Amino acid sequence: MNSTDIVVRFKNVNFAYEDGITVLENINLELEKGEFACIVGPNGGGKTTMIKLMLGLLKPTSGSIEILGGNPRERCQNIGYVPQFSKFDASFPVSVLDVVLMGCMQRSFFMGRYSKAQKEQVHRALNDVGLKDMAFRSFADLSGGQKQRALIARALMSEPQLLLLDEPTASVDVHGTEQFYRMFSEMNEKFTIVMVSHDIGFVSASVKSVICVRKTLQIHPVSELTGESLQKMYGLDVHLIRHDHRCTEKGHVCPHS
Amino acid sequence: MSAFIKDLIELPFLQNAVLAGILCSIASGIVGTWVVLRRITYIAAAISHCILGGLGAARYFSVVYDLPWLRPVYGAIFTALAAALTIGIISLRAKEREDTVISALWAIGMAVGVLFIFKTPGYNEDLMSYLFGNILMVSREDLFLIAGLDLAVVVLTLTFYSQTLAVCFDEEFARTRGMAVEFYYLLLLCLTALTVVLTVSVVGIIMVIALLSLPVAIAARFFDRVWKIMAASTFLGIFFTLTGLAVSYTPNLPSGAVTIVMAGLTYLLTLVFSALKKPVQKTPTA
Repeated sequence: MNSTDIVVRFKNVNFAYEDGITVLENINLELEKGEFACIVGPNGGGKTTMIKLMLGLLKPTSGSIEILGGNPRERCQNIGYVPQFSKFDASFPVSVLDVVLMGCMQRSFFMGRYSKAQKEQVHRALNDVGLKDMAFRSFADLSGGQKQRALIARALMSEPQLLLLDEPTASVDVHGTEQFYRMFSEMNEKFTIVMVSHDIGFVSASVKSVICVRKTLQIHPVSELTGESLQKMYGLDVHLIRHDHRCTEKGHVCPHS
Repeated sequence: MSAFIKDLIELPFLQNAVLAGILCSIASGIVGTWVVLRRITYIAAAISHCILGGLGAARYFSVVYDLPWLRPVYGAIFTALAAALTIGIISLRAKEREDTVISALWAIGMAVGVLFIFKTPGYNEDLMSYLFGNILMVSREDLFLIAGLDLAVVVLTLTFYSQTLAVCFDEEFARTRGMAVEFYYLLLLCLTALTVVLTVSVVGIIMVIALLSLPVAIAARFFDRVWKIMAASTFLGIFFTLTGLAVSYTPNLPSGAVTIVMAGLTYLLTLVFSALKKPVQKTPTA
């Protein structure tokens, strides 16, 4: 394996907050180019911390992290980050265009004017996420799912090689969630995707590997995600949806069998 | 009212007051919008109260050591910027107890100001005009300073409009784009400090925060873009200061207080108006 094909590399990473509570312990992880990985685990297990470490927003207490062959802070220009829309001020007075344009921001962006080419790129990005002709709508007027799509379009503006999504399907209905995964699968043909999800039910449909994190880490290829391993992670019995099982009019279909 | 218009044509101090009101409203409309969106009205209020320390100290040294060039407003500008940077750096570094530090600075600034004013020889009527503003005391010289500060605020805000928007909307994302988030935050606090100094001359230290936030709160109910809210709150600010001045003139009321009461009443009216406009929602019975 060529080392340049490793997009995310965690080597013996430990992370503790200032109050001394250890969040991540001895994490080793390598994700290859083209991967579609989903980080799952209980609340407080360190899912979001891992994303923030990849973005360089947090520094590991010990160990090293390499993103796209470099330091996370330096490579952040090539990472598209999609936070949860729910943390935003719901009535913030901006248009969808304004929000998506924020994706072009760079350290060198000075005397802030966006170019015409960047504005055209916004329309392409909105088209890619299914928000065609919505550029001049108010961000505040969008539904939850549409807001999340606009934030994905914003992340696409920097033409990322790695897309990091923090619970993108939280508060999106089941039908919407399916559409999101279809979109992610298409995007995955172009770049590596790592997402955080508490939403175990839908994980395996398009996700290639599942990373279970609860202080320590376990990686499962999708087909190995079983009730037992989840139970071990959560420490209690959870109901597991058969991801590979679809109910259709013609009967039951198991794509993996 | 007609006496006001007649005097406005004749009396230069009244013309100065009107110009000062217009100039201040431009800065407070623009910067006030960011202050409200970034939710730092509390910091703006603290900066404003700290100013009393600077005003008092500058006036004390000016009188006691006979330094006629040292005008109180210079002390105000210095203290406002120093307070803004101190609060900014503390809130960026220390994650906890930020509000305690801000409150402490707020009170210490006022205490220092009161002590200096108390020890300054001569007639001490100034304290009241610092606290509650006296737009009629704005001189031609003050007007130049206000215009200069105004220009600085407007140019800096327009230059960094997109960046400030990105940082106010989603600070964490801006950070992942490699933007100097801390710089923009401190810049915004410094602009707030300068705006507060301008606004103090119109409504005084205590009521600054109302003139910064009420026009924005009203405008935000009707407009859904940042620049529109800025424009609308500028016009509202001009309207409130000028009507405040005109209404208070004949009965000889404190103009700052009348201005704020006008703004407050308008805000209440818009609240009632939008509550009535909202379609009545039936509670589901099932």
